[in-house]
Amino acid sequence: MSERPVNHARAAEHFLEDKPHLQFHDERLWDMRQKRDAQMHILPEWQELREEASRIKEHTLSRLPEYLEQFEENAKKNGIHVHWARDGAEHNRIVGEILKAHGAHNLIKSKSMVTEECDMRPYLEKQGVRVTETDLGERIQQLDDQLPSHIVVPAVHKLTSDVAKIFAKDYNTDPNIRDPHLLAEAQRQAARPVILGADSGMTGGNFVVAETGTFVVCTNEGNADLSATVPNLHIATIGIERLVPRMADLGVFVRLLSRSALGSPITQYTTHFRGPQKGGEMHVVLVDNGRSARLGMEDFWTSLKCIRCGACMNTCPVYRRSGGLSYGAVYSGPIGAIIDPTFNERKYSTLPYASTLNGSCTNVCPVKINIHEQLYKWRRVLVQHHEMPFVKREIMHMAGKLMGQPKLYRAAIKATEVSLSTMPRFVLYNWLNPWGRHRENPHPVKQTFNDWYRKNRKPGKEGTPEAKK
Amino acid sequence: MSARDEILQALRANRPTPENHPLPPVATLGDMDASRERFIASLKILGGDVLEPATPGETLDEAIARRHPDAKIICSNVPEARGTLPVEKIRTPQDAAMIDVTVVRAPFGIAEMGSIFLSEAQLPINSFAHLGQHIVVLLSASELTANMHTAYQQRPEFRSANYGVLMSGPSATADIQGVLIRGAQGVRSLSVWFT
Repeated sequence: MSERPVNHARAAEHFLEDKPHLQFHDERLWDMRQKRDAQMHILPEWQELREEASRIKEHTLSRLPEYLEQFEENAKKNGIHVHWARDGAEHNRIVGEILKAHGAHNLIKSKSMVTEECDMRPYLEKQGVRVTETDLGERIQQLDDQLPSHIVVPAVHKLTSDVAKIFAKDYNTDPNIRDPHLLAEAQRQAARPVILGADSGMTGGNFVVAETGTFVVCTNEGNADLSATVPNLHIATIGIERLVPRMADLGVFVRLLSRSALGSPITQYTTHFRGPQKGGEMHVVLVDNGRSARLGMEDFWTSLKCIRCGACMNTCPVYRRSGGLSYGAVYSGPIGAIIDPTFNERKYSTLPYASTLNGSCTNVCPVKINIHEQLYKWRRVLVQHHEMPFVKREIMHMAGKLMGQPKLYRAAIKATEVSLSTMPRFVLYNWLNPWGRHRENPHPVKQTFNDWYRKNRKPGKEGTPEAKK
Repeated sequence: MSARDEILQALRANRPTPENHPLPPVATLGDMDASRERFIASLKILGGDVLEPATPGETLDEAIARRHPDAKIICSNVPEARGTLPVEKIRTPQDAAMIDVTVVRAPFGIAEMGSIFLSEAQLPINSFAHLGQHIVVLLSASELTANMHTAYQQRPEFRSANYGVLMSGPSATADIQGVLIRGAQGVRSLSVWFT
């Protein structure tokens, strides 16, 4: 793979320069985290729910082939057409063929991260299908030709003024609108005719129930319901890891999802699809796209438990101060940093470093994925696979040599102290020293520990480290 | 090999040892209060409201007209309200877009969330629940279940409906600068009338 690694640090630097955006982004996400905490404190059974959710997911993943077959059998019995796609290209081809068979050219869709993975929109547009995102945030991102920057709130990095500018271009509204209510109303008015004129609808799927052949879609706007009930053709794109065995398991997950995501008890709409509506046709496309391979990665398979709530993103200090787009990937934040490298190890080799390893992501994860441990383990894998940036690699290399030879190490420390106090800034602060880019180098000390030790220890008694050898 | 078989084969080869991950028994956790008071409190958190007779003897039709004075087209799918448009006029999914106030009955509600359930059994057409500007939902207080666990375990509708939606208050969004807006793409308001 020849793609260059995403330069997350540089993109983040860019993001940090814009103070109003940075401040809003940081505060908005932290507010979501605090609302999540408030919900957690209301429920004494919170930790039990997390444990339950984790165990159900791990069980399901260990029996995924059987549950997928069970789902398929039940869904077919209820009149759902079930398709399987190995990767994004196959998924797009399947969706394209279904639409072609119906002569459909106007597709309305609700948010689906899997279709982002598959890069479906450009594929269908080339085929002459107009694709309209119906989720407000996702629509803003579509009009601005950007990836979603957050999996739950796709346009969270934008301010009202940004949205006003985008809508002015496409909806002919006043670019100076500063009231979000007016902009949301503009979206409603613009979307209605498109929804009413659509000949096909698409949704994702948050949960899939093997026992009944049901899939569940959660939204706040009700846009998935509009996408699925107005046109008579409904296609649902779903990752194969979304299964749960029993209807009753949904109780655990629905109670956790929106509380973890936004700090609201439940999404306004929780919709259960078990078969086509009267006179309609329903298709489910089950997408692998790297998931079956990930299941075989001993250290990383539990990332498949993810229910896409975004809690890890909201709590992450690096994410909050770098923005989702800086990750240059479909999935951003801590969860993105551990699953993106499974899609493209070289391109996303920098992402596991976008973390302080503080573990907050792991603590808030409703399905108990050990995210920060996986971040650490990815770093190890990437080093073993030589996917490490040049400067970092060389520095580690030199540090390894230095620390392996005490005399050399001490000489280097002395030299560093001397140079820190004598060298001009341009020598000390340049591209070879990324640490010094945002920080001052440490103050030089008058005496190293070793010097102090030699001076204060009486030689001969216990001996200096040298004498011990 | 077909995509299906290839994916299933890869999953069989790669999965963790199933014996190490037994299925936990079904969980029933949390508050078991299925009262009307709890339901109403939860409903209000999510932006829904109750509709009650303002004076003894006020009919449902009168109460709807009072709450939605500007509504021109009121379409009822329940015998308790007459509305202004016979529900038989709604024949295609798009027809529902002209409605100002939709009136339906929910077979049950969930106290924990203030959610009401609707399926094709309560709707002339599924879009009926979403395209109208406002919705009024009739609900019997004896059809409340405590929480999501009891709902999924006890309500047969989840296993029989092709389309089943839990609506918890009206449509909402906070996608523009975090400002909460009720009435995004679906209904602008949701009122529950207890019977």
